[in-house]
Amino acid sequence: MLQSAASLLGRPFAGIPADRRKGIGLIVLAAVMLLFPVFHNNDADIDSMANAMSYAMLALGLNIVVGFAGLLDLGYAAFFAIGAYFYGVFTSFQVMPLWHSYWAPLAAIGLVQKMNQGGPDLVHFTLSFWLALPLSALVAAFFGVLFGAPTLRLRGDYLAIVTLGFGEIVPIVARNVDSVTNGAAGLNGIQAPMIYGHSFGVSATPYYYVGIAMIALLIFISVRLRDSRIGRAWMAIREDEIAASAMGINLVRLKLLAFAIGAAFAGMTGVFFVAKLQTATPEMFGFPVSTMILVMVVFGGMGSVWGVVVGAFILQLLQSWFLQDLTQWVNAFGALIGVHWVQKVDLVQSIELIFGIILVVMMLFRRDGIIPAARKAPDLDFRAQHAEVKRGGFVGLDRIPRWEKRSGNALEVRGVEVRFGGLIALNKVDITVPAGGVVAVIGPNGSGKSTLFNVITGLVPASAGSIKFEGAELIGLAPHDILRKGVARTFQNIRLFPNLTVLENVLVGQHARLRSGPFSSVLRLPRTRVEEKRARDWVLDVIAMFGNRLTPRAAQTVTGLSYANRRRVEIARALASRPHILLLDEPTAGMNPAETLELAEQIKSLHELGLTILLIEHKLDVVTTLADTVIVLDHGDKIAEGKPEEVRRNEEVLTAYLGRAAKEAVMAEAQQAGAENVA
Amino acid sequence: MTVFDVYLQQVINGLNLGAMYALLALGFTLVYGILELINFSHFNVFMVGSFVALYTLEAFGLSGQTVILAGLPLVGVLLVTFAVTMTVTGTIGVGIERFLLRRLRAVKGPAAMITTIGVSYILFNIVLLTVGADTHNFANPLPTVTWAIGGASLRLRDVLIWIVSAVLMIALTYFVQYTKIGKAMRATAQDPEAARMMGVEVDRVIMTAFFLGSALAGAGGLIFGLYYNFTSFLIGFTAGLRAFTAAVLGGIGNVPGAMLGGLLIGLVETIGSQIIGASWADVIIFAILVLVLVFRPAGLLGRIAPNKS
Ligand SMILES: Nc1ncnc2c1ncn2[C@@H]1O[C@H](COP(=O)(O)OP(=O)(O)OP(=O)(O)O)[C@@H](O)[C@H]1O
Ligand SMILES: [Mg+2]
Repeated sequence: MLQSAASLLGRPFAGIPADRRKGIGLIVLAAVMLLFPVFHNNDADIDSMANAMSYAMLALGLNIVVGFAGLLDLGYAAFFAIGAYFYGVFTSFQVMPLWHSYWAPLAAIGLVQKMNQGGPDLVHFTLSFWLALPLSALVAAFFGVLFGAPTLRLRGDYLAIVTLGFGEIVPIVARNVDSVTNGAAGLNGIQAPMIYGHSFGVSATPYYYVGIAMIALLIFISVRLRDSRIGRAWMAIREDEIAASAMGINLVRLKLLAFAIGAAFAGMTGVFFVAKLQTATPEMFGFPVSTMILVMVVFGGMGSVWGVVVGAFILQLLQSWFLQDLTQWVNAFGALIGVHWVQKVDLVQSIELIFGIILVVMMLFRRDGIIPAARKAPDLDFRAQHAEVKRGGFVGLDRIPRWEKRSGNALEVRGVEVRFGGLIALNKVDITVPAGGVVAVIGPNGSGKSTLFNVITGLVPASAGSIKFEGAELIGLAPHDILRKGVARTFQNIRLFPNLTVLENVLVGQHARLRSGPFSSVLRLPRTRVEEKRARDWVLDVIAMFGNRLTPRAAQTVTGLSYANRRRVEIARALASRPHILLLDEPTAGMNPAETLELAEQIKSLHELGLTILLIEHKLDVVTTLADTVIVLDHGDKIAEGKPEEVRRNEEVLTAYLGRAAKEAVMAEAQQAGAENVA
Repeated sequence: MTVFDVYLQQVINGLNLGAMYALLALGFTLVYGILELINFSHFNVFMVGSFVALYTLEAFGLSGQTVILAGLPLVGVLLVTFAVTMTVTGTIGVGIERFLLRRLRAVKGPAAMITTIGVSYILFNIVLLTVGADTHNFANPLPTVTWAIGGASLRLRDVLIWIVSAVLMIALTYFVQYTKIGKAMRATAQDPEAARMMGVEVDRVIMTAFFLGSALAGAGGLIFGLYYNFTSFLIGFTAGLRAFTAAVLGGIGNVPGAMLGGLLIGLVETIGSQIIGASWADVIIFAILVLVLVFRPAGLLGRIAPNKS
């Protein structure tokens, strides 16, 4: 509904290109915001707006943690408190150490003052608001890492409860450390910001403008991060941690980064908030505040930058502007119908009840929020959907450069053992994949094939053995480091990032090959631009390997794709990292014979370009056409190894695969065939 | 009082709190064991329970600590109050499951947990808006018999709280171990898919878990009132978090673990407060929560659940 309304509104401007329209919209919005205090000279309303901005900034910060990286933080207000107390302590008269001459340099630059209240000389901290903003961001980010580090290994719901705990501890500490925070009474006399020697004073207007500047900055940072290598990695983690780490994303580092940046936003907001209020008490930062920020993010749309800003404004202004008016109307209505309690209802009191209802209703009926983050790409039109399928194969592969020729063995698995409790999933298995070769692994269900891939890619630990890739030991490395070394894989039960587009999914595969960090992503340095452009071109080339199967669908989210296409996206994602060896776990499962043949051809072409391949496959004809060597696993043991046609005749293999009776049938058939040949 | 007496007294107090946390922790554990969901609404179902109990007692004409009952009348009033409170909170729990959480069962991600936060908020604010923010004096008909043990004192009401909690926990253990639906519950907790295929009605099992958990939370709410002689709209959050910590400490999903964890957290709270001050009690408890989760996520009695990947 929202979409159709937007498109109706957009119709008169249809002549203007979309980019331009966005730019013009932004300019209009900025102008309205900047002129608001001029036209509406009501200090209370301007103050409400400035408060709403504080919450919008908090919502932007929490959005990075919850919306982008998918880490449910229920104690986010802790970082708000840290920023607030940081500024409060260093500008109020609460902490006043004895004066000593080593304070003099700081006094010279205006950070402290010498004071005398009729005792010895004391130090009064006078940290500048403008300096406090970046410093508090750093301090809060530090605490973000400190709180995050022990908890990030936890599953999502445990993380939620631990952050809730931290969110409670911070106000408790603030309440208990009287000497620094003045306990429950809170800090008073916090300094207002100064600009060119003038204090902001009591008017809300200067805060309003500072708020606009800060919010513009935070929106800018959020958008830049979202559309960068970092943002993609966060969303990949949110969608599927295991796949993300197998695609080269360092989970710990990126989660900590999200925590740190989210905390930094809250720290800055804390400075702004208490500078405006000129007081800070522990009550201002408790669980209700964390929940309120969460409500704003959920209401606006998790992961949607503009959504959470709009959500925060709507809810905050609902509270400070509309509920009062609404209460009057409802009371008047009560008087009209003569019902006593309706005349008495005070809706302002029930704001938290309304928040609770919003949370529940949004979760039940509109989980993506009022402005969903996922930009839905238009469906393919009829012609594109029914276009003649142009297969990839050699045609599509001409943009993919050959792999460097290597000699010797690419992968050497020696005596690897994997146990799950009492179950031995792999029992002292040896496997060798020569550089440039294709090795297939076959075996009945539950024989340990996928476990072999998991242990090679670092997803399950080995209890014994060694895995050497191009001479380097893989055991003990984290999955993302293993990908970095050139080992990429697909999963048997496809693990794509469901809410990302085809292009974004495949771009995640490039993560380990790109370098831009948070700063260069926000600043979008020339280096970053070049890198990003090159990554996109390369990814489009990889996608083009599948002819016109994926290319026209590059902007669609992967959930809408056919099963076969999702498998192709997963292969493309693995190839995007330009691995030296590709591990394919049943790549043709669920494909019809024509599709299977097509994919087999493409795998063969990749092999001919020099890529080393290790493949799990149930379809024996595929194995026979592709593989140089076949390895057979059964109950965790390697029971055979050899050329495809040798293995096909191996007795033990037939027993494992087909059972005794079937084996005899096959043997009889083979004998008969032999007899006919003789005749 | 000697130092020993002080600590003995804190152990007695800790066992009271521990019994209450254990009852609450069971609710977290039953639901988590089956749905892997942290049910935040549980915090305030407990709080609502203490108000239901308060009004039930008042309906008997009891108010404050003035009317003391003994013998059969006392047993009768307590039985009715427990029954009413537990039925009401149990029904609230079932309602939350049936009308809200069931629709979200197939939804991945934090949607269900966020919903329970919303429900918790709704319950909290409904109580705040209807009964007000004041602390309510809790009607308490328990006789004020006290025995001296050295310098410490053991009250009859402490003993009654232990007996009631023990009876409830034994009943629950029996239910989970030996009844048909209890067995179905354990089966579902282990492997919902397999349980469904073996003919377990998963919906009914989940509803039972919510009913039992919420009913025990109601009992906990009544015990809170009898122990502290007051109740307030605020009590759910702190007690809920401590009880959740108890569930995690014992091994979440593990029924005996929740009981053990509850007792330990009760003792940690009283003894820890004695040592470093009551205002730091929650810091100790959260520190335990974090340490357990980081170093022994399976808790004291739990086992690490197989990764469902
Ligand atoms: N994470 C795990 N925890 C416990 N057991 C596991 C785990 N992963 C695999 N297993 C067990 O290890 C054995 C081997 O499983 P694996 O997935 O490697 O088999 P597979 O050969 O890939 O079978 P399929 O053909 O069905 O894919 C199975 O008995 C499986 O149940
Ligand atoms: Mg497998």
